[in-house]
Amino acid sequence: MTRTDSPPASDVSIRADHLSKIYGEFVALHDVTFSVRRGTVCAFLGPNGAGKSTTMKILTGYLAPSSGSASLAGYNPSDSEQRLLLAQRLGYLPENGPLYADMTPRELLTFVGQIRGVSAIGAAIERVTSQCAIGQVMAKPIGKLSKGYRQRVGMAQALLHDPEVLILDEPTSGLDPLQIREVRALIRELGREKTILLSTHILQEVEAVADEVVVVREGRVVFTGTVGALRGDKTLEERFYELMEAGGGPGKEAA
Amino acid sequence: MIGLRANVVSAIAGKELRSYLGNPTGYVFLTLFIGTSAAAAFLDDGFFGRNLADLATLNRYIAWILMFFVPAITMSTWSDERRAGTDELLLTLPVRDGEVVLGKYLGALGIYSVGLVFSLANLAVLLYLGEPDMGLIFATYLGYWLMGGLFVAVGMVGSMFTDNATVAFILGALGCAALVFAGAAPWAAGLIGVVAFAGLAALLWLVGTGRARGAGVAGLIGGVLGLGAWLGDVWAGFTEAIASISALAHLAWFGEGIVRLGDIAYFVGGAVIALVLCSLLLNRRHW
Repeated sequence: MTRTDSPPASDVSIRADHLSKIYGEFVALHDVTFSVRRGTVCAFLGPNGAGKSTTMKILTGYLAPSSGSASLAGYNPSDSEQRLLLAQRLGYLPENGPLYADMTPRELLTFVGQIRGVSAIGAAIERVTSQCAIGQVMAKPIGKLSKGYRQRVGMAQALLHDPEVLILDEPTSGLDPLQIREVRALIRELGREKTILLSTHILQEVEAVADEVVVVREGRVVFTGTVGALRGDKTLEERFYELMEAGGGPGKEAA
Repeated sequence: MIGLRANVVSAIAGKELRSYLGNPTGYVFLTLFIGTSAAAAFLDDGFFGRNLADLATLNRYIAWILMFFVPAITMSTWSDERRAGTDELLLTLPVRDGEVVLGKYLGALGIYSVGLVFSLANLAVLLYLGEPDMGLIFATYLGYWLMGGLFVAVGMVGSMFTDNATVAFILGALGCAALVFAGAAPWAAGLIGVVAFAGLAALLWLVGTGRARGAGVAGLIGGVLGLGAWLGDVWAGFTEAIASISALAHLAWFGEGIVRLGDIAYFVGGAVIALVLCSLLLNRRHW
């Protein structure tokens, strides 16, 4: 793909460079290239099965790409030692917010804090407890919490070490409208200081929180640019459906 | 294992311990272990017939008890993580694969050790009935602990292959059973050898190529080669070599009160090999 306004390397916090991921005969990602500027909220938009979560897993170092490379905060997530350094600067909320159901939020945050070597764990827990509004449920087993609270606890563990980069895989999936509004407000607030890449298939989410957007379809990037550039003179919905049907369009779209 | 950080390993081990001891099922298994080991030690006719205050009767059954008890501890170590998706959370924290494996191992070994400590009630019975040789009892329990340590590592390998705890239990029990039955009869050693050849060939393929595709064929070729070595008498010492990996022969010396370095090395070395295998299998997400 081509992009006419590629930012200078020093201004880039997340970069995916010709990433591909192949499972047997199935190509999950094909030549995915994009970058996210430091201090911006970028939405990774695409329908279910487009390769969003696979990309997130590669960027966090959970999976290795079949080819291509990635860089986050200057570190290569595919390198085992660099991944450790990256993980200290990265907060990650996996899809569906998987958490240890038998732990309480306090136990989980203490566990994550111990592994991350967070100094003053108590103060860090207090900070994220307030930030994510989970004070009421800190002593309850996570398995007994509502989906909304579990998602907030997931956000809290991702924020515990005050990371400079956040990767959120469908952070509002399964939440009710009130919870969605709260999570989006939190993302907007965090986006003032941090680089955030969030995957979503919800167009309203892109308009609500994102500065930039990368659109993927069937494992390929079909658009990168600002939300305004994606919308153009149409509605976001119209443009999204055009891209999904055609795989391209005017502006800064994939070649 | 160089460069493993104690804070990470201890945090993971502590989580495993709390998770197991915070679950009623854990206590059911611990109670079953204590009850079964006591029954094996004292309900066998041979115990009172011998008129000796020792655990010789339990020594005959302990491997069979551990073959089921230990996989019940380890069945959830990886399968539950995979089923709940928490492996993605854990492995994207700043942890090395080796730290996760060692932390989980120490947690499971801790649970087994708790069970073993409670089974010291057997010693109280012996003290009530007679005057047991404490050196012999210590050596016997050291053997139990070392054998459990090996079985914990083998059970963890079984749990790596599935997200279903029941399947993980069966795989773990089969792995432990292989170590028990390898020395039982030549045919058992032969069968276990064929499976070991197949597994080794598949593993070498995975590690050598970094690809899962083709591992099944490699395993099949390894199995056929093993079968040829066994049935075709290509390698005369095939069954003897496989029989030598049996845990029973190594445990027997501890039961006699003799602690040999070679037996300790067997149990510790076997556990290390299984844990390295766990690390390799954990790394397969990158293949």
